[in-house]
Amino acid sequence: MNSFSADERLALRESIHLLLSKQSDERAVRATMDTTSGYDAKLWQELAKMGVVGLIVDETHGGAGVGPMELELVMEEVGAALLCSPFLASGVLAAALLDALADAGLNDRLLPGIADGSCIATAALTGKSGRWTPDGVAVSGQEVDGEWRLSGCASYVVHGQNADVLLVLASTDRGLECFVVEPRAAGIGMAALPTFDHTLRLAEITFEGVKAELITAQIPVWDAVSRAMDLTLVALAGEQAGAAQHCLSSTVEYAKNRIQFGRAIGSFQAVKHMAADLLLETESALSAARNAAARLAEDAEAATEAVSLAAFACADAFVTTAATSIQMHGGIAFTWEHPAHLYLRRARADAQLFGSSSFHRERFIQALGA
Amino acid sequence: MSSENPISDDALREEVRAWLAEHWSPEQAQALEGKQLLWGATGELKNWLGKVVEARWAVPTWPVEWFGRGSSAVQAKIIAREFAAVRAPGAGQDRSSMWANTLLARGTEALKAELLGPILKSEVNMCLLYSEPNAGSDLAGIRTRADRKGDHFVVNGQKVWTSGAANADYGMLIARTDWDVPKHSGISFFFLPMKQPGIEVRPLRQITDESHFNEVFITDAIVPADNLLGDVNTGWKVLQTALAYERSILGDAARGARSGAKESLKEEVLIALAREAGVLENPELRQDIAQAIAYKKLNALNNARVKADLQQGTTSPAMSLGKLAMSRILHEEARVRTAILGAQSLFEGSDHPRAEDANFLTFNAYFTSIGGGTDQIQRNIIGERVLGLPKEPEIDTAIPFRDVRKG
Ligand SMILES: Cc1cc2nc3c(=O)[nH]c(=O)nc-3n(C[C@H](O)[C@H](O)[C@H](O)COP(=O)(O)OP(=O)(O)OC[C@H]3O[C@@H](n4cnc5c(N)ncnc54)[C@H](O)[C@@H]3O)c2cc1C
Repeated sequence: MNSFSADERLALRESIHLLLSKQSDERAVRATMDTTSGYDAKLWQELAKMGVVGLIVDETHGGAGVGPMELELVMEEVGAALLCSPFLASGVLAAALLDALADAGLNDRLLPGIADGSCIATAALTGKSGRWTPDGVAVSGQEVDGEWRLSGCASYVVHGQNADVLLVLASTDRGLECFVVEPRAAGIGMAALPTFDHTLRLAEITFEGVKAELITAQIPVWDAVSRAMDLTLVALAGEQAGAAQHCLSSTVEYAKNRIQFGRAIGSFQAVKHMAADLLLETESALSAARNAAARLAEDAEAATEAVSLAAFACADAFVTTAATSIQMHGGIAFTWEHPAHLYLRRARADAQLFGSSSFHRERFIQALGA
Repeated sequence: MSSENPISDDALREEVRAWLAEHWSPEQAQALEGKQLLWGATGELKNWLGKVVEARWAVPTWPVEWFGRGSSAVQAKIIAREFAAVRAPGAGQDRSSMWANTLLARGTEALKAELLGPILKSEVNMCLLYSEPNAGSDLAGIRTRADRKGDHFVVNGQKVWTSGAANADYGMLIARTDWDVPKHSGISFFFLPMKQPGIEVRPLRQITDESHFNEVFITDAIVPADNLLGDVNTGWKVLQTALAYERSILGDAARGARSGAKESLKEEVLIALAREAGVLENPELRQDIAQAIAYKKLNALNNARVKADLQQGTTSPAMSLGKLAMSRILHEEARVRTAILGAQSLFEGSDHPRAEDANFLTFNAYFTSIGGGTDQIQRNIIGERVLGLPKEPEIDTAIPFRDVRKG
């Protein structure tokens, strides 16, 4: 794994900030979220050229091969800009899952495309229950005449409708296995789900005897899924921390300038105290996300505690900050035209994707030995 | 200074270890565990602190003429870490002693010569004579006066909520020295000798049933002019230095339970308590426990990030959040302890140590959320100084203090 120096990290962050401030400003986000695909193919290509899409893919497969700390940092910018893209699904979740499963032949085939953005991959891990545990899997696989066939239903599949490759988790009589599936294969039903967060794309996928390729996993499949999920959660935590910070700073800016009763509203204590509490929330979120990334970079096995802490601390901080930001803006924030609701939508979506805060609090306390 | 006496990190570490190996024993660690430094030390601890100061481990970043070594912050940390590893107190006072730091920064040479050593060695006990019945959050409203008479000042007035006053040898006093200028401009800062006839200390009974803080009545007490910190009427600035040290200390420290039963509990007190009470499987409590522990961990992570930032020469807004975070931690932990105990928290007395702890901590959390500036004042400070929000209009900052409305 490559690791960046502090200066290189800063440069990476700045270049992404620059790109996103130009091409993922509020207008661009609004335009993109109204398209069918939900992402801007041109921007996607630029992100790929910059090395963002293949950030965590190893160098032999055309990626930058960097670790959780760089990923987390990039995601802070992604969150602040509310970027609409399949990065989390393809460049993070799917890439990490393939890496963890370590099927060398398959990785030679898939990872280069994922890294250069020409192939969008995603992972189907849970069913309609939305439980991110083995018992949430609602697809089953049967081997018939040396060929695998999948049946059942996967839901909450991030960017499923845009995928060129699906990684599907299924229960089989030999336990959980992971499969590669062609999204246009016979027997697949693909439905875009109506999402409350318009910057997010989710799909429900049904399988009726769909032909699938078994992945030769080098470690138990659920272990690989957990590992990929941990990295994805760290990325998500970074996104949440970055977005929360953006909400706070734009709200503070507003409070300095909005005049009522002849003075800036930020000079009123009721407003000032909300801002101070949000600073505590957002700074703590940032610490939690960065710490989780660092722990994961050190030792993926021992990072559960830090990752789950970041998962609920950052989710809660983003929801609180986005929600309070609306209150602090007053009526203007209640309009469709104001960006505040876009952030609250993303915050509430992020807080459910891959497990709720109470799910992660439970995981955290278990990691502490309770 | 450090260039005069360059020493590698490894050599320094070896030196501290060797010194500790010679002078410190695990039995001492047991005996001195939990003894407080903030409000004064006794017997054996004093003895030990004397050795630490003489060996120049107490305040390594300070100049050589004042018990230091002119060390870098990094090397000071190495020393503090070695002390912490064997649970030996006394190192790191260049960060933790508000008395010594305030005195070093602002005291006269004479006063430093007289008191820096004794303070670091805890030979003298200190207290803070700031709050008055009508000047709490609005400290600049103090009415205790100090009037110059030759080479000393005569002090008259009343202080309140003075922690540790009963045992104190000196108090850091703010008093008004000019009544004809706006309120922040007429204040001076002194080290007032407490053991003199003009000072009467009356203990107050606290909600925790302790008597830790006091009322202090001051009648014609004398303070030498040499005990003035900063110039006359610049006391407000000195106070800001001292308050900053106090806040960072209150942001780091939390008092534990008082039952003495806590030794039987593991590191994560709340989990151990819930297990002991047989309620660890209760899913709601598990959520509460996880959240309370999370607050603590998040604060520790913030502090670690602040330190890392400081080492890289940048500052972080998280720096100012410790005291507010600590208030939240303490109140939440007490609430969850109570929830774990349920009806048992109705009890009092030594037969019910867990209830004692929970009830004590419930009250004691206010030590941090009121003492040293209330949570509300902290939020004002964070809003204005960190987030840059506009100040609230103040109506009495431009008029002579004589004309300010009394509370
Ligand atoms: C355990 C303990 C130990 C202490 N030890 C010492 C000590 O050793 N030496 C010492 O000098 N003092 C000490 N204090 C005093 C402490 O610093 C004051 O109690 C504190 O600063 C609040 O002042 P007050 O009690 O006068 O409350 P007030 O200032 O009257 O405040 C009452 C309420 O009004 C709120 N309030 C006041 N002004 C504002 C404002 N501008 N904006 C928003 N809210 C406001 C406060 O937050 C509080 O909720 C101690 C206090 C405690 C509880």
